Formats: sequence, structure tokens, C-alpha cells
Amino acid sequence: MISSAKRVLFRKFKDFETRRHELNYLFWECTTRCNLDCLHCGSDCSKQSNYRDMPMGDFLAALDTIKNPAKNLIVVITGGEPLLRKDLPECGREIRKRGMRWSMVSNGYLYNETMHNSLLNAGLGALTISIDGLEESHNWLRNNSRSFDRVVTAIDLAANSPRLNFDVVTCVNKKNISELHQIKEFLKKYNVKAWRLFTIIPIGRAPQNENLLLSDEEFVHLMDFIQESRKNDKGIDVKFSCEGFVGKYEWKVRDSFYFCRAGINIGSVLIDGSISACPNIDRSFSQGNIYTDKFYDVWEQKFQPFRNRNWMRVGRCKDCKSFKDCQGNGFHNWHGDKQNVLVCHQLKIENVHS
Amino acid sequence: MKRNWIRNIIGGLSFTTALFVFQACYGTPQDFGLDLFIEGKVVSKATGEPIKGIKVSAPQLQYTITNDKGEFSFYTIKSDKVQISFEDIDGAENGTFIKKDSIFSMVKDKVYLNIKLESSK
Repeated sequence: MISSAKRVLFRKFKDFETRRHELNYLFWECTTRCNLDCLHCGSDCSKQSNYRDMPMGDFLAALDTIKNPAKNLIVVITGGEPLLRKDLPECGREIRKRGMRWSMVSNGYLYNETMHNSLLNAGLGALTISIDGLEESHNWLRNNSRSFDRVVTAIDLAANSPRLNFDVVTCVNKKNISELHQIKEFLKKYNVKAWRLFTIIPIGRAPQNENLLLSDEEFVHLMDFIQESRKNDKGIDVKFSCEGFVGKYEWKVRDSFYFCRAGINIGSVLIDGSISACPNIDRSFSQGNIYTDKFYDVWEQKFQPFRNRNWMRVGRCKDCKSFKDCQGNGFHNWHGDKQNVLVCHQLKIENVHS
Repeated sequence: MKRNWIRNIIGGLSFTTALFVFQACYGTPQDFGLDLFIEGKVVSKATGEPIKGIKVSAPQLQYTITNDKGEFSFYTIKSDKVQISFEDIDGAENGTFIKKDSIFSMVKDKVYLNIKLESSK
């Protein structure tokens, strides 16, 4: 009864947020160069990118079109690997000068004490670093024998900074799913307070490697692990990412009910100037380009496919009873001809529990 | 019209704590913005000339170095009492100066410090 009421209220809340369409979270894909060659990369980044890094001034000009930015608007710098940009601290300071906050997603390879100090000085406020298993499984996925040692240095620095809102993310796959308890204890030893778990969806390089994608049973094992950790382990906040709707596990594996905010509160400026939502969303959903359009006009006047997702009522979603809560799952699950959702997390769970 | 109160009521009634503090699935957590911008200039007490190469630090947290004009700036964590240390770390280059600590109560989001260092000779 209470659960149903909560669900109905949450739907109302989502409707309200969708109509309001306030920009709270802006990704900047500042480079597609990367110093690693991960097996699961969803963006097909490489050491030799086809794109040059976006000049800082071009991004700032887009940022300057935002009228009355929301008080909590944060620019999330991503890539590629952002730390390959030598002007990163300068970019951060310029964002802060405009009254906005900034954060960064990094693989941690270049995050040493000097870099940590320099980014803190430039007003870095939040940071996410990836660790994808214990040493062997992490280095396997990251395709680099030194990656684990480097990322541990990064985690040690970031987790002990009182200024940063820091979390660690892990892409769960067949190689590391049996290590989850050990990884958790390892992170706790390093004073990590928040750990977010993902699965890998079959885009980018991932479909070519059968070790990357979880079976239905493994996925349910992951849900049970997160649920159990949240219930019994107060030493670290473990959660499932907001990558998809998880049916009976909703409220149990995250702080909040599922809500994909891509294009509702989340926008992006991508490497070629495209204006979209999360960077892992199919690029055909681009709503404009900062080199030809005013960023904020596009944010305010477009984004209809993100705000009204009824077009997703096709394929598996067509007659699904959970559509009102799920709304086509994570937006990044719609690729190609967009006639079916790429991954249905709820179906994986039902396949095991039915 | 941005009807925040309706949003807050509906959100609150659905008994979730993280409604307004979300993060994108491949993004970072929110920055709660609990920081302070400190900038200033370091000069010689005797001559009034700017001093380059002084280490300006929030102890145990971070540091920066003054530029040619003796200027520095950085963001650091906000607290009731902030201590900033000024230390000559380049030996005789640019003169030699006695270390100084500046302690102040935090009242605003930004602070400008004019620092005069005494020569150690």
C-alpha cells in the first residue's frame, strides 16, 4: 500500500521534473584522446583521436549562453581521459568564475599528488574514478599492466580529501563478479565512502567480448549483493547506477526510485560540438551544435525525444506493464534503428525469479 | 514559472532522500560547494616588493606558489577557522623570508589576503 503510494507520487514528481526541464548537470566531452585502451569502452576512444580537443573558449562560449543557471548546476568534465588536457585546471577555474561548479570522471592513471593539488586549487568539487576489480581483473579490462597500481594511488589521494565528494565506480563483468566482496573490503581499507556498480551494455567495443556481459543469473547475483551490502554494511554506501529499471529491486539498490534524467536535467556538449544528454547516448539523438546554435536555446526549445518518451513504446516495451515507471529504461539503451530496447534489466530479473 | 514548492512537497511525500541530489549514470556525484576562494599577494615588509616562489598552503590539504607578481589564488575547504601558511622554500633565490601563518575566521565565500613577510637577515 505505502509502496504503491510512493510509486504514484514518484511518477508525479518525474512528470513535474520533466515539464520543468531545468539544466542541473552538464557533461563536457572535452577530449576523446585516452591513455588506456579498455576492452569495454563505450565511446571507442583511442590514443589517436579523430577529433582535436575542444578549445576551452568554444565550450565557455556555450556555457555563457545559459541564462540564470540553476544554483546547483555542475559541469562534469569527461572524455576520453580529461587529465590528458594540460589546460584542465584553467578550464576548471573559468567554470568556477562563472558561478558554476565542476567535477571530473577519470580513469585515474595520471592522477598523482601534483595533479590532485592542482585540481583542488582550481575548485574541483567531485570526482569519480573507476576500479574494475582486483589487480588481475582490473588490468585485464583496462588492458594495461600498470593501471591498477596507478588507480590505487589516485583513490588513496581522493578518498582522503575532505573537499571532494568522491566515489568509485566498477563495471561488473564475468571476470570480477566473484570478487565483489573483496573489492568492497579493499575500498573500505582505502577509506572510500561511496561505491557505484554498473553493468556493461553491448555498445562500443563491448559486443566483441563475451566475458563482459553478465548472464541473467549473474545480474541477479549483483542485485542481491548490492541489496545485502546496503542493509548490513554501513561502512560504505554501495549502490547500483541509474543505468536501468530493476523491478522488484527498486528502492533496495539505490537511494531513490529509478529515473533516467537524460535530456530532462542532464545535457552535454560533445567533442564535435553536438548538444545532447549523456555522452553514451546514440549520437543520432543530437539536438543541435554549439558551432551553429546557441546552446541554451537548444536546451530550452528542443530535447522533445528525451522529455516525451512515448516513442519508446515499441518492441519489448510496447505492451510492458512497467512502462510508466521504467519509460524505456536508460536512454543509452536505444541505438541503431531504435525499434527495441538494447537491455531490459527487469526482464533479466524476471527470467531468474519467475 | 518554476514552482519549487510543489516539487519539494511531491518529492518529500515520496519518501526519498536523494531526489534533488542525483548523478548521471556515467557521471560524478554532486559538488556540495563547501569551499572558499582565497587570493592575495605576498610582498616584502622591508621593501614592499612582490615575492615570487613563496609556498602558500592550507596545511594537510593543498598548496600553491606565488607568481612573479607575488600573487596567488586557490579554492580550499570551508571551515570556521582557516589557517594559511606562507613559507620561503626556494632558499636564497628571490630573498629569504621568515615563515608566517595567517589564521582567520571564515565569513564569506572569498577572501583577499595582503601578506607582508619579514626578511630573515
